[in-house]
Amino acid sequence: MAKAVGIDLGTTNSVVAVMEGGKPTVIVNSEGNRLTPSVVAYTKTGEILVGQLAKRQAVLNPENTIYSAKRFIGRRYSEVQSEIKNAPLKVVAGPNDAVRFEVQGKLIAPEEVSAQVLRKLVADAAKYLGEKVTGVVITVPAYFNDAQRQATKDAGQIAGLNVLRIINEPTAAALAYGLDKKKNETVLVFDFGGGTFDVSILEVGDGVFEVKATSGDTHLGGDDFDKRIVDWLADEFLRDQGIDLRKDRQALQRLTEAAEKAKIELSSVVETTVSLPFITADASGPKHLEYKLTRAKFEQLTADLVERCAGPVKQALSDAKLTERDIDEVVLVGGSTRIPMVQALVRRLTGGKEPNQSVNPDEVVALGAAIQAGVLAGEVKDVLLLDVTPLSLGVETLGGVMTKLIERNTTVPVRKTEVFSTAEDNQAAVDIHVLQGERELARDNRTLGNFRLEGIRPGQRGQPQVEVTFDIDANGIITATARDKDTGKEQKITISGSTQLSREEIDRMVADAQSHSEEDRRRREEVEARNHADSVAYQVERQLQELGDRAPTNERARAEGLISEVRQLVKSNSSDTARLRQLASDLQQVGHGLASAGYGQAAAGGAGSQASPGGAGTGGGDDVIDAEFRQSK
Amino acid sequence: MKDQEPKQDRTVAAGEAPTNAEPAEIERLKAENAQLKEELRREHDIYLRNLADFDNYRRRIERERASAALAGKREMVLSLLDVLDDFERALAHVDESPASVAAGLRAIHRRLAGPLEAQGVTPFESAGQPFDPALHEAVGSVESDEQESGTVVDELSRGYRWGEELLRPARVRVAR
Repeated sequence: MAKAVGIDLGTTNSVVAVMEGGKPTVIVNSEGNRLTPSVVAYTKTGEILVGQLAKRQAVLNPENTIYSAKRFIGRRYSEVQSEIKNAPLKVVAGPNDAVRFEVQGKLIAPEEVSAQVLRKLVADAAKYLGEKVTGVVITVPAYFNDAQRQATKDAGQIAGLNVLRIINEPTAAALAYGLDKKKNETVLVFDFGGGTFDVSILEVGDGVFEVKATSGDTHLGGDDFDKRIVDWLADEFLRDQGIDLRKDRQALQRLTEAAEKAKIELSSVVETTVSLPFITADASGPKHLEYKLTRAKFEQLTADLVERCAGPVKQALSDAKLTERDIDEVVLVGGSTRIPMVQALVRRLTGGKEPNQSVNPDEVVALGAAIQAGVLAGEVKDVLLLDVTPLSLGVETLGGVMTKLIERNTTVPVRKTEVFSTAEDNQAAVDIHVLQGERELARDNRTLGNFRLEGIRPGQRGQPQVEVTFDIDANGIITATARDKDTGKEQKITISGSTQLSREEIDRMVADAQSHSEEDRRRREEVEARNHADSVAYQVERQLQELGDRAPTNERARAEGLISEVRQLVKSNSSDTARLRQLASDLQQVGHGLASAGYGQAAAGGAGSQASPGGAGTGGGDDVIDAEFRQSK
Repeated sequence: MKDQEPKQDRTVAAGEAPTNAEPAEIERLKAENAQLKEELRREHDIYLRNLADFDNYRRRIERERASAALAGKREMVLSLLDVLDDFERALAHVDESPASVAAGLRAIHRRLAGPLEAQGVTPFESAGQPFDPALHEAVGSVESDEQESGTVVDELSRGYRWGEELLRPARVRVAR
């Protein structure tokens, strides 16, 4: 099956994502990274390098290494004079005043450069997915005009791709948060990346987004924050050591990397140390750089950069004729929105609204584009949106505990079977009590239904095998079936609407289980200790019966004493688990003694078998008997 | 008897059907048949797709599980390489220290490099090699009489491989 992918074709970095099992996932490139630098290099040997590789050789080949083609795509030469000043490239006017890069004597259109980036992203995606990529959705800034959009589409076609659609970056981000399902809401998208800042106000209704206003600053981003730290560190060092590190290329590179690292750290801690030993040397010997940078200091250094974001937000609001109170949702995009001061600014400007930021802000646009690609390629519509069971399902077993067959959050349809047995000798029927919930004890959970399987062939407790099957179909309808493996007798119950609990009810049940987990665990342990002791007592009792007079009198007396104590404790629902465990272990010892002394072989099978917690002995074959059913009287 | 009668009725009705049924009814059934076939085809397609999706997913997860363990350690190893770089910078000045301190520093350097090498982290030589962006990150270019243009003149920090893959490119200066 061929796939459609979503591509965030960024100014600095690009990201590609795909729908997988109904969810968008970022695809790692061939170098193992989730972000691919939007850099293309034309080398002297005629090779074209894209991404990280292009970046690595940039200083050797600056005039043929193209960064930020997005700033030029679909624009006229006369419009981009300010951009040309910042670029080390040779930018010239092509036909109809179109922008062209002059690379090794040839004219290259920005579309062709972007096509190289797209080609690499799609090739890496195909490799990752192990299948062909047929369609792409590419995102562009909301302020892109028709020419810029058309040129971006052309870039896709040059790369040999079927461009399903060009969509706005803020729209993609909103899609990633599922905001298309909202009715008549106003969404503010705050996109603060490595080199650009965009603010967009969208209105959503009936799955359609409308851009009401955009604003921003095309030369403001995370790199500016790094630069402030670099300058501060270099100034401090100059003051202390009299050496300007900015003049030493290698030192500057180490400084820049350390600055970015410090910036990232200060988003989660309030203080970090920048340590660069042997950063330089003079006649007096090697010099080390070590400065402590607090978040407060960082905020002081960058306060004006953050303030520069306020203007465009206010501008966009006023252009859309809205106030901060009209904003229903705020979405954060771009790595720089991880900076606490930036988040604080956004909250301040949007009336204290808590922004959507659970999706990685570097990836959110590509993820939204992937969702759109999935819809357009017909995948999302056709993919069965599989449900999960909101709560666990199980049956009541001996001692009133719930034995889970299907854990909560299991994807349906699903079918699970387990084998149970009886709790008493000659039990002719078992009661199946179908439960839903997270608590350990049956009585704390919700009863979905009850039924009885009759006509079980009389036998010792633990011998009959009752197979219980839970089947949940795609619509959430549960069928619980009990079958006696010996007679083939079967009984079933169908329960619909079990999943129609409200979200609140489910949450409450889950929270309840969490808050009671300690006491539930203790109570379950008590039940299991009682069941286990009772089961051992039963086995030893049978052993004694079979041995009859052959059992030595003192051993018999000891066993009978222990058994009677167990029975008493079980009967009184004792919570003395320590004592019960001790008794069970003593009885097991006695049982082993009786068996290994060579008194009859029937006994050996009974007492020696490993009883599972709360269960009887194994019934033979592959089936493990997990627990026992009692027949209600 | 009561059970028998309706059964007979049905038999009669069935026998008469071909002659009595309205052509419209036949058309309706044909259309329904076509629609059901189409639905079945679509459902089957979805089924196959999901099956294929899952199969691909599983295969990739298996592939990724191997590299995931590596990826987890990657960040840690990279930060240790930074310390190793610092050591190498320190060793460049080691002659300025008393011999006993120098010997101690060299020993610590080995203690750091040893376990990394044991994990499969191996340095590679770059000086004198042709510049290759798959292995090298250019930090600058220099005039050189001895080296051909495009050749790595010196390393500012060493490159490392981890098993087969590149862990960190070498930072190099290249002859102009």
